[in-house]
Formats: sequence, C-alpha cells, structure tokens
Amino acid sequence: MPLPRWALADDNGRSGSTDAALASVISLSHLDERALVAEAQTGSRAAFEELVRRYDRDVLRLALNLMKRPEDARDVYQEAFLKVFRNLHRFRFECSFYTWLYRIVTNVCLDHLRRRQARPEDQAPELSAGLHEEGITDFFERQREQRPTLDPERTLIGKEIKARLASAMERLSPRERIVFEMKHYQGLKLRAIGDVLGTTEETVKNSLFRATRKLRHELGGLR
Amino acid sequence: MSVFEKSVSCTDVAPLLVFYACDEVSDKERQQIDAHVANCAACAALLAEANGLQEVMAAASQSADELDSSGILLAQCRSELAESLDDLSAPPVQDHWRPFGWLRRWMALRPAWSGALLVFFGILVGIQVVPRLQNATSDNSQAMNVTAKPRLTDEQLARMVVGGINFPPSSDAGSPDVQVQLSAEQPLVLNGNVQDSDMRRVLTYVVQNGERFDAGVRLDCLEALKAASRDLQVRQALIAAARKDQNPAVRMKALESLRDAASDDAVRQVLLDALEHDANPGVRVEAVNVLVGSLKPGESEDMVPRAPKATPSVNPGGLGEEQSIERVVRVLEQLQRRDPSRYVRVRSAAALRQIGPREVE
Repeated sequence: MPLPRWALADDNGRSGSTDAALASVISLSHLDERALVAEAQTGSRAAFEELVRRYDRDVLRLALNLMKRPEDARDVYQEAFLKVFRNLHRFRFECSFYTWLYRIVTNVCLDHLRRRQARPEDQAPELSAGLHEEGITDFFERQREQRPTLDPERTLIGKEIKARLASAMERLSPRERIVFEMKHYQGLKLRAIGDVLGTTEETVKNSLFRATRKLRHELGGLR
Repeated sequence: MSVFEKSVSCTDVAPLLVFYACDEVSDKERQQIDAHVANCAACAALLAEANGLQEVMAAASQSADELDSSGILLAQCRSELAESLDDLSAPPVQDHWRPFGWLRRWMALRPAWSGALLVFFGILVGIQVVPRLQNATSDNSQAMNVTAKPRLTDEQLARMVVGGINFPPSSDAGSPDVQVQLSAEQPLVLNGNVQDSDMRRVLTYVVQNGERFDAGVRLDCLEALKAASRDLQVRQALIAAARKDQNPAVRMKALESLRDAASDDAVRQVLLDALEHDANPGVRVEAVNVLVGSLKPGESEDMVPRAPKATPSVNPGGLGEEQSIERVVRVLEQLQRRDPSRYVRVRSAAALRQIGPREVE
C-alpha cells in the first residue's frame, strides 16, 4: 500500500517524495509513543502524522460503530484529530496518549450523538447492517456475500442479530453507547474507559450495567 | 473486605454476572461467583443469559466492518486530514490593505448603480464644492490696488520729442482716440484714449511744458484733453496753458477746452484774469464767450470737481455764486468801457445783455 500524501510531507507541510522525507517517516515509525508525542509537540508535522497513522484506524472504527454513518464518522475523525493537532502542546503525559486521544474522540462522538438526539429530524437514517447489505451495489461486495462456503442459515441469523442489535443500541444513551462500544468492540478495560471518559470505574460500571440490561431486554428472544 | 468473604447471596451475585461475563471481576470474586452459581440454578440461568449475550455480541459483525470493509473511508479521512493540516500549517496570507474594498466590491456587483452614483457625485462636487473652494480662495486674498507700471518714465517724458498727433476715427464721441508719435530713447507710438494714464501723462506734459513743443502739437494736445477737462490734473494743465502759453492760439484753445469746467472757481478766475490781463483780444473774446456760457441757466456744472484749496479762487473769503457773478459783470463792464479792442467791447456789451436778466432775477 503506497504511503499517503501526508506521510511524505515534510515538517513545513510541503508534500514531496524526497528521500529525506521518506527516511524521516521510517525513522519516526521506530520511536515509542512518548518520544513520538514529544517530537510532535516540537512542531514536527511528520511525527504528528506518524501518531495519526498509529491510531486512526481504531479512531475511525470507534466512530463508525458509534455513529453508524460514514459521513458522521468522517466528521468525527477530522474534528478529533484537528483538536489533537491544535492542543497537543497542552498534553502533559499525565496519562497515555492513547487515553488522551480517545478522550477527545469520545467527547466529539458524544457531541455528535447528543446533537443527533436533540434534532433527529435533521439526521439521515443510520445505515444498519441489514439495510446496508440490502443496499449493496458494489460488485465485489455482492460477490463476497455469494461465496458458496457461507452458510445461508447463519447469514440469515447474523442479519437478524445485527438488525436487532442496531435497534437496541439506539435505545442507549450516548454515554452508555460509548461505554458498551469501548468495552465490547474496542476491548478496553473499565478502568481505561473511566480514564478516557474522565470518570470513575464505578460510574463506568453503572453505565455498562444499564446498557447491558437494556440490550438484554431488546435481544431477549434472539437466542 | 469483600461481601463474598462472609456470605454470598443471589442479591450480591446477580449484579456482578454481567461483569463476570465480560471478565471485569477480580479473581477472588470470580471464585466465589463460581461457587455460588454451582449451587444456585437461578443465578446459573442469569449467567448463561449474560454469556449468551456476549456470544451474540461476538457473533454480530461490527458496523465498522460493514461500513468500511475496503478501507476506502480511512484513506479518504487521511487525505482530508492532510489537507486540513496543510491549511493549518500554511503561513497566514496577509492580504494587503485595500482601501474602500467594500465599496469596490459593491460597485463591481452593481455597475448601473455605481455609474449613477458617480454621476451624481460629480454633479454634487461641481455644484457645491467648487464654488466653495473658489470663495475660500478669494476670501484669503486681500484687495489690492494694482496700477499698471507706466511705460514712460519722467526722464523719458523730459527728453521726448513729439513727432505728431493724429485723431483716428473713433466710435466714442466723448473721448476720441489719439495716436501720439513720440521719439524718446527710441521711436514710440502711443495709441489710445485720453482716459489712458500714459496718454494723459504725455498730453498734459506737453501742455504744461509748452516751450519745448511745437504750437501745433500743443493745440492738438489741448484738443485731445478737452474731453477730459473735468479731471483735476487735466484741468490744472489747461489752466496753466491758458495762463502761461506764449501762443495766443494755444491760450484760446486752452480756454475753449475749459468750457465744460467753467463753473469751477479756479477756471472762472482764469477766465477773469484773461479778460483783464491777456494782451490778445481774441483770447479775451474767447474768455467772454466761455464766461457767458457758464453763466447761462442750466449750464452750470455742479458736478465739476472743485480745485484744491491752494488754487486761487474767485471768492476766497467764502463768497457765494452771486458775488462771483457780480465780479464777472464788473469786469465785463470795464471791458465794455475801456478795452482797446472794439470787438471786445462789443462782445462784452453783448455778454452783459445776456447776463442781464439773470441779475434781475
């Protein structure tokens, strides 16, 4: 996979495929997180972009799972990393960069979710898994779903689960949704989630308990 | 000390089964939950339900897998972020100062209104601003009497020679045009009116300094000055000529030129002196004629400027018009009786007759 354009940009933001820029990227990739953040705090554009490259997959994944819409997830991605870029000089290493980054991302997601809840009429419908598959137009996507090795019964059950789960997730509050998402899909421990959300582990536990109870109620007849 | 150390009940276990299923309990709690569930069917069922939910969650594919399975969205996000970072990292473009930028934008978008506005503004400036500027300029200037520098100096006048005087045709009957050919340091021709200062200076100089110029020139000068006899300077020159000029014709001409100013005391005194003392009978007759003319009703020249006080007057003690007339009559009576010229005596008698009715009045 070729390096993206920003990966080859120098510290002044000029894009170029010079050997020096490539060497800079390669050398930065071996730095640990703390050194990389420190380098980025000095104004190094390449160091910041290396940080982005390390974490942006997880960030986009979290945003997609929470927002359910590619457009919203893209907005969250942009807004979150631009906030990181503008406020990186304020990061004091009191927590891990990962936690600090996720705190920003979850706050942006919370803002978007709360805005969506406040004005649902302005929002486009979420692309639930079932609806998304029904609307597949990409040839390769269709080919993958038509592989003969795939069990049709299991596929049908999976669709049903996804649809019910998407509907159940809609009944969660933004914070419960984030806690559940970070616990089950991001694999974070409750303590880490508390750090990300800036709250205690007990509060996170309460949120997870309420979310689980709501989901169990919604998905009761599924098994 | 945990609650599980003393007694473990269903009430204590049930809330923890969710966290047990997702591996968020401590090892000790896990052991006690396992022990309790092994002996409690209800809690075992709840745990099975929690585990089932976990399995369902694990079986369900994530939205991220569905929405960005090919990674295109991630590439788009990276590209957009790079562009945003480029914008943030780029030095701020300092737009140089443009005065009235808003006005230029407004005019660019509304050409018709802009044209009308410019025309109106031009008219407004022409009507209001320009006159005010002109007034302001004139207010700052002080009134000054500007006198043209005479082309002829006194030295040139003293050395000039008059070659000839012509009277070209003129539309102005009151003050005819005059052309004076001079020869001072170099030949010079003056063309103009007797009202012109240079012309008047030359003419009066010739009259006052008659000994230096030909009699014919003097006569021509007197003819030209006749139209300006009411001017004090000219009148004094005419009076001087009437008194002093050696040529009787010139004196006669001088008296004739003073006809329009005969009511002036100084002029009348000159006329009386001429009657009494001039040796030429023609001059005396001319003086009689001018005096009689000045005494006719309706011909008095009230508007004639008076001579300076230094000028000899008929009534130096403040005598009135009647006293002046009495003196004229007395002089005429003397001429009528004693003048050696018969013509003068006859003319004086005729003058007395003309004046007579006036005395009756």
